[in-house]
Parts: sequence; structure tokens; C-alpha cells
Amino acid sequence: MATQSSVPPIATETFSAESLTKRPRIGEALIQVFLFSCGIISIFTTIGIVIVLAEEAIKFFALPQVTLLEYFTGTKWQPAIGYFGVLPLVLATIMISGIGMVVALPIGLLTAIYLSEYASPRARNILKPLLEVLAGIPTVVYGYFALQFMTPVLRSIFGVQQVQIFNVASAGIVVGILIIPLVTSLSEDALSAVPRSLREAAYALGGTKWETARQIVLPAGLSGVTAAFVVAISRAVGETMIVAIAAGSGPRNFEIGKDSLFGFIFNPFVAGETMTGHMVRISGGDLSYNSVEYLSIFSIGLLLFVMTLILNLIARRIVTKYREVYE
Amino acid sequence: MSDESTTYIAPEPKFGYPAGPKLDQQIKARHRRGQFWYVLLGASLIVSILALIALLYTIVNDAFGLAAVEYKNDPTRLVVEQQEKVMLADRDTVSSEDDRELAAGIMNDPYAIGFFGYAYYQQSSDNLTLLAVDGITPDAGNVEDGTYPLARPLFLYSDARVLENNQAANVFINYYLTHVNEEISDVGYFPLSAGRISQAQQTWKQANALDLPAGQWAAINPDGVGGSLSIAGSSTVYPLTQRMLERIKADGFVGDTSDESVGSTAGYRAFCVDGAADIAAGSRPMNQNEFASCRKIGRLPLEFAVGTDALAIVVSAQNDFLTAVTADELRLIFTTAQKWSDVNPNWPDQPIKRFIPGTDSGTLDFFVETVFPIALDELPQPTLVSILADNVSPGLGRRMESEQRFFADQLVFFSQEQWAEACDGATPYAGCTLPPRAKDSVLQLLNENVTEPNIVAVWKLVPSLLNRAAIEQEALEKYPAASLQFTSWVSTAFLRSPQSSTPELAGVRTAVLGSLWVVAFTALVSFPLGVGAAIYLEEYATDNRLNRLIQTNISNLAGVPSIIYGMLGLAVFVRALEVITSGTAFGAVAAGATANGRTILSASLTLALLILPIIIISGQEALRSVPNSLRQGGMALGATQWQTIWSHVLPSALPGILTGTILSISRALGETAPLVVVGASTFITTDPTGPFAKFTTLPVQIYQWTSRPQPEFQNLAAAAIVVLLILLLSLNATAVLLRNRYARRAA
Repeated sequence: MATQSSVPPIATETFSAESLTKRPRIGEALIQVFLFSCGIISIFTTIGIVIVLAEEAIKFFALPQVTLLEYFTGTKWQPAIGYFGVLPLVLATIMISGIGMVVALPIGLLTAIYLSEYASPRARNILKPLLEVLAGIPTVVYGYFALQFMTPVLRSIFGVQQVQIFNVASAGIVVGILIIPLVTSLSEDALSAVPRSLREAAYALGGTKWETARQIVLPAGLSGVTAAFVVAISRAVGETMIVAIAAGSGPRNFEIGKDSLFGFIFNPFVAGETMTGHMVRISGGDLSYNSVEYLSIFSIGLLLFVMTLILNLIARRIVTKYREVYE
Repeated sequence: MSDESTTYIAPEPKFGYPAGPKLDQQIKARHRRGQFWYVLLGASLIVSILALIALLYTIVNDAFGLAAVEYKNDPTRLVVEQQEKVMLADRDTVSSEDDRELAAGIMNDPYAIGFFGYAYYQQSSDNLTLLAVDGITPDAGNVEDGTYPLARPLFLYSDARVLENNQAANVFINYYLTHVNEEISDVGYFPLSAGRISQAQQTWKQANALDLPAGQWAAINPDGVGGSLSIAGSSTVYPLTQRMLERIKADGFVGDTSDESVGSTAGYRAFCVDGAADIAAGSRPMNQNEFASCRKIGRLPLEFAVGTDALAIVVSAQNDFLTAVTADELRLIFTTAQKWSDVNPNWPDQPIKRFIPGTDSGTLDFFVETVFPIALDELPQPTLVSILADNVSPGLGRRMESEQRFFADQLVFFSQEQWAEACDGATPYAGCTLPPRAKDSVLQLLNENVTEPNIVAVWKLVPSLLNRAAIEQEALEKYPAASLQFTSWVSTAFLRSPQSSTPELAGVRTAVLGSLWVVAFTALVSFPLGVGAAIYLEEYATDNRLNRLIQTNISNLAGVPSIIYGMLGLAVFVRALEVITSGTAFGAVAAGATANGRTILSASLTLALLILPIIIISGQEALRSVPNSLRQGGMALGATQWQTIWSHVLPSALPGILTGTILSISRALGETAPLVVVGASTFITTDPTGPFAKFTTLPVQIYQWTSRPQPEFQNLAAAAIVVLLILLLSLNATAVLLRNRYARRAA
């Protein structure tokens, strides 16, 4: 008996390979469905954004007093009294993004070159978190900074008469400061991705550090750097709180021929409301649904969405199409 | 290099690199260029750092600084009056304006204590014991130099030119300095030493350009001297000056005199700013700024010390247990203590008999101001409540008590019957069920209804520190009724008070709570969805069109401006799903009380969609960094795919996922534009109670304050920014700590 029992009995029940693979696992399937639906939410979000914006914008353009032609060519935006030219808002957005780019692109790129080519690992460990701090500060704080610091500085340089309290220049410069970290980190990623062998080849040919950076590394990473620039522009165009606080609360309506071109229309020291600034100001009040104002901000939102989407797509395109692949 | 080039002659190359000295030049030029750009690169980096410094500087500069505050009721006065009331209320307290009566009362009772002018103690020092206060027994020396805590100097101020032009003033000061020590003890003050008096006389002699040797005095006979003389200032000096005026008139002075008892500060202002008074009387030295104001109107103040005011704390000579008291013991003895043993167990178990001067003399004021804390927020709650009860109408008081009662065990404005009736009735007061008010709440009621502070001017931190004198002078001229205070706009009161339209009472309580609610719900929604999507994309998704589309779409969503999410939230959560987001579908909110979908829930869902792409992308990165061998190990043991993910992949990816999530939540915490669009309330004073409540958040509050034109609101905005940055900083620090902790455990 004892000796017999020590031998394991031959299994009477056997698992066939088939039964193992095909066994349905409802729990696993449910989990997978849940995970998939999490992933698909992002698609719904996009669809939601497009539908919401388009639906209300179509309602807006269907209004009898609004025409598409006037919308894109009119130079006055006063929905309350029937002026629906989006140009003043778009112009302010472009000016602020432009000023921001003038500040952010050179500083951001040069900082990126410094960090990727010159800085010792120790310096990088100190400087990069510092830039991250700058990037982590909420934009409303930057708006406060523009109003309380940049505007007084500009006014003391250019004169109180010249510079209005709310002005495009101050908002633009601070938008620039806001996106410096973005430009820096994206560009630095692109530059660091350039393989070491290229640099070493340049040094071997007698290139100085700067010549290597400018003539070898920068062209090799150019696609990434360009993409960084485009993303930065898109970020500047969509930036809201800085312009809502510091750029003024009223569209800079103008008349071509009547208003001086650089004294008013393109004057950076005059107040000018951007698309985003206008949207925040109008929706901050008590807004009744389906009023002209309510619908109009959706039309502006759609325009903004399309603009930033195009910029983001361009940036993607640049990265995928022109990227130099090194083995 | 150039030396060597002489030994062999290289042919001048037609192409390529130059040789000889030119090569040398070229190399140098290239190095210079490199140097130049190196400096430029460094400079560009410094620009960012400077921007960060300027940002922090601006915030700190606005979050602290001087403020000129006017009160409807001066809080110091309120506290003093309240303390006096408490002191006089006790039945064992004898109060008299006649200090001799007080002295007589104390002498005969071994358990009596009292205080009065030092002079009266001297008159009956045989029968009284003088107590040391905080270890200092008053004597001529320490009273005169102010080390005795209950002493203060008395001054007259005038100006050489005034004395020159105004014979009456000149003669009066001369007379004052001649005879003050003969009268001062009788008035109740402490005489100056001969040295101090002769110092004052020296000043007078210099002003009159009299070249007399020190110690020699030129007393002027006032007989027949006339003119007009105006004196203004301290109520403490007033009786002394009155006595001197009586005496000089008795000696034949025929001038036309006016003496106003308006307080030291007002007296100095009348002398230095308006120039109305010829002589200012004060019970404190003139400060630097008052000197500066005087100089501005061409007066150079001359200081004449005329005496010292000191209080003697005395017990009977029969008292055998007391020779010294501390300030703490004094506070107890003259207020709540009933028996000596209540103050100190070593003292006899006998009732304290108190003898104190009446409220008219100013002596009591001085005692209270010196011995008791005079800031409202240092007082205990019952004292605050009684100040409130004395200064608001019964109707208002009842309304306050009905909202929330002041004490658990007693009523202040209601009678017990009224209260019981109301609470048993159909519509009981909120106060029937709520716990009693905390001290802060009482302080707030006092601020709003009694002291009613009003900030009339503010200054930034840097000028407040560097330029204080000029600011104090400016405040003195422009806002004579205001008191200048160094204000930290970030304070515990700022954290605890709700929003208010008066900047000095406004706080961020509502906004901070709103932010926390919104962020909590945002995290609750976005974390599982984001991590789920990341797992799907990294672990399950095959490389097909749909999955590539999802991936592309997520990175595009990350680039959509946040305000667009606000529009989405407004149209979908606030408007289309109003039934759900307003809470009416769950019956959670009574009809009519809803926020029309502009609720915490709508805001959280909007922000959740906004940060979802960021969580997904960082989650994917964390999952990607988990080595494949872990997955294969799990699979090889027969685990299903989900089991492998749950028990192997997720734990080792968790630090990365958590870090990414916390960073994206800090993004949500700082987000403003979408919440404004979704409909954060512009003005809300009640704490949010749940997901269906109206809300405001800290960044929205900052935006609203920044948009106000009044400068005080900029200070509030700066203070709120400090709070916001601290919240963000602690959130990010949590992320770092979590990461380190998990990283260690995994290792």
C-alpha cells in the first residue's frame, strides 16, 4: 500500500491544448474593452470639439446679419451693433504671437544650444529644473507679471504717453517668456538626438565648438528645431490669460485709410484684444445661450482651433518628413 | 608658429586654408567668434533666470508692504475700553478719581492692591509698599530713563523761530521750565532730575541765543506779558500744562491762551503739518517722520522734557506676602482673579481688594495700554464677544447669534426662552444646530461691523523697507486719520476668510476649497481613464489604422489651446448635460438652488479632458520603460496578459505614472481660462459643499482681482499667487517624494 501510494497516480483528467487556448476569459475581455474605451475617449473628445464648435459656428453664420465675407474682411468687431469683422482680433493675436516669437525663438534656441553643446552635466542638472519651474508657473501668474512688471518697465522706457496701461507689447513679451522653456526643451531634444559621431568628425576636421554647433549640429537637428518653433507659435496663438489680463479688453477696431498704419493699427503700445482674450471676457459675464455673443465666440473658437490644428499638423509633418535618421 | 614659418617657405595656396600669419589670424578670429557666441549663449540663458527672478520679485513686492488703514472705530480704543470695563466691573474694586482716597483705602487693608501716579505713593510711602514690576522697583533713575515698564516721558515741543516771534510762547516755556518741578508731584507725575531740567533749560537758552554758563538760568517774570498762545497735544501733559497756565496767569500773565487735549499724535500734527499750534505737548518723543514734516514747513522742533509719568503699583505696608509682581500676574490680579490664591497658590486664600483710578484720568488708559495686549486678535474669544455686544445693535447681534451662536453654554443677544422657542418652532435658526463660532469668526464680525477698517493707500514692499520715512510722512500729510501698518497680505486671516468686496477683509478660503474640490474630482476622473488608455495603447493596441489614429489624435489634443476645452465644457457639460452636472437628475439639489450646470462637476470633467492627453503620454512613457523581460516572465508562468500587466508591469511603471499624473494635476490646478468659460462664479462667499455646488478657484480669483483697478486688489492677487505657488510647489514635491519612495522599493 505504502509503496504504491508514493507513485503519483496517472492523471485521469487531461487538458488538451485546445481547451487551454480557447477557454473564454470574460474578465480579461471586459478589461480589454474598458481599456479600449479609455483610448477611444480621446477620439470622442476631438469629435466633440469639432461638432460643438462647428454647430454653434454654423448657427452664427446662419444669422441674417452675419456674412462670411464681412467676417474675414471687416475691420470692426462689435457684435452688439452688428459689426462682425474678426480681423482686429486676429491681428492682435498675430501681433502678440509675433512679439512673443521675437523674444522666445532666439533666446530659446540659444539656450538649447548652450544646454546641449556647452553645459557640463552638472550645470545642466541645475539649469533644466530651473527652466521647468518657469514652465510650471500658471499663465494667470504671468498675466499678473505682465501687468505689474512688464507694463511699468515699458512705460518707464518709452514714456507714459506712448505706452498705454493695457498694451500688446507687454503681453507679447511675457508670452515670449512663457514659451522660452517650451522652445528650449523641444529644441534641446532635437539637438541632443544628433549623434556624437557627427560632432567628433567636425572636431577632427578642426572645427571649433561654435562652428560644430552651428554648421553641423544645428542643420542636422533643424527639422526638430523647426517643429519646436511651430509648436511654440501654436502655443502663443492659443495663450489666453496673459492677453486677457495685460493686452486690453476691447477689440482694436480700425478703418483702413483713416487710422494711421503704425501709429494705431500696428502700434504695439496700444491696447488690443486677441481672439482668446475676447472669448474669455465675453464668457466671463452672464451669457445667455444662443445670443449673438454666445454664438460668436464659438465662431472665434473654431477659427482658433483650426489655426492651432494646422500649426500642430505642420510641426508633425516637419518632424516625420524632414527628420534625418542616423544609424 | 610664425617663427617656424620662416625656416621653410610654403607656397601661397590658391585655394583652401591660408598659411603663415594669415592662418594664425584666421584661427584667432575663429576663436574670437566662438568666444562671442559662447557669451551670447550664456546671456540668453541668463535672460530666463532674470525673468524668473523678476517674476518672484514682483509677487513678493506686492504681497507685503505698508498700508494706511482708517478705522471707523479704533480697535486699540475698543480693547482699552473693554479692559477698563472688566476691571471696573468687579464688586471688590474701588474706583476713584481722587488718588488720596485710593491710597487711604489700600493702606488699611492687607489684601488690597492698587495703582496711581508715583507722586502719591511718595506722599504716603510709610504706609504703602511699592511693588517691583517685572523685577524693577521704580526709582528716580529707572523711571526717568524708561526702564521701569510703567513709565513714560512728558515733553513740550516748539521751534526757535516761533519762540522768537511769539513772546507769549517763549515766556510760557521759560516759566514752565522754572516752576514745573514745584507743581508736577501735585498733578501726579514724576519730577525730572535737576540735570534733565537744566538740559531743557539749555535748549531754551540756545533758542534765545543767550550765552549763559551751564547751570545758570534766566527766569523771566511773566507779569504783564501778553499775546496769543496755542498749545495742543497729549491728554497726559494737559493737566500739568493747565496747572502751569493757572499759575502763570496768577503771576500776571495776560496772554490769550488755548490748550487742547487732543493726544500726542494729533498735537504733533497740529504743530508740524498745519503749523496751527505754537507748542505741542506729547507723552512720547516725536518720531523721525514728524520731525521731517516739521522741517518741510520750516520748523525745527526743539524738545523740552518736563517730567515723567510713572505708575506705582502699591499694596499696604501690612501686606506680608507681596513685594514684586510680573506683568502676567498684574493682568490676572486686575481682571479675572477673585482671590490672591487664584493668581499664585502661595498667596493667601483671601479676596483681592482693588483700588484703581477712574476712567477720566488717563492713568487707567495708560495702565491698560501698557499692561494688557492691545491687539484685537490677541484677546480671548469671550472678551471679543463682549466687545461685539457693546458695539452692535441688539437686532444685528440677534441676527449674528441666530446664524451661529457665540458660546455653547450661554446666549449673548437672546434670552434662553426666546432661543428655545425659536429652535423648537417651524423654522429653527441655523445657529440651533451649528457648533458655536470660532474666534476667527468673531474677529471677522468685529472687523465687518465694528472696527470697519478701510485701506486708503498701499505701498509695495521695497519702498516700504527702503523709504519708510518718506512714506510715513506722506501718510501723515495725506491721510491724517489713518494708521500706517506693515501688512503681510498673505496671512492666516487671508487663508480663512471668504471672498469679500472690501479688500482688507477678503480672503481665499472659498477659492482654495473650490480649487481642491475641482482638482480632486479631476484626478478621480482622469487618472483611471488616462492610465487605462496608456495601457491599451502600450500593451494591447496592434499597429493598425485605428490605433495609429488614436495615437496621433492624442498628441494633437495635447496641442489644443485650453480655452477650446472650455468651449467644449460649456456646450457639453454645462448646457447639454445640465440635468446631470447640476445634480437635479439625482435629486441632490433642490430645484431653484441649482447652479445651472456651472458646477464643480462640470469644471472637473472639463479639466479631466484637458489633462487626459498629458496623463496618457506620460503613462505610455512609463510603461514603455518597463523591460520586456518582465512581461515575458509573467507570461511564461502562465499568467494572462492582464494578470501580467497588473502584477508585473504596472507596479514597476507606477512611479512614472504617478509623477506624470501629479504633474498634470498641477497643470489643472493652475488652469484658468477653461474654468472662466465653463462659468466659475465671479463672486461667491459660501464654501463649496459638493460636486453640484457653484465654485470659484484660486487662479480664477487671481484673474478677477488682477482685473480690478484698485491697487489693494493687486496686493490680494499677489497674496493669492503666493498661496497658489505654495500649493503647486507642495504638489510637485509630493511627486518627487513618491517617485523616490517607489524607486527605492523597486530597487
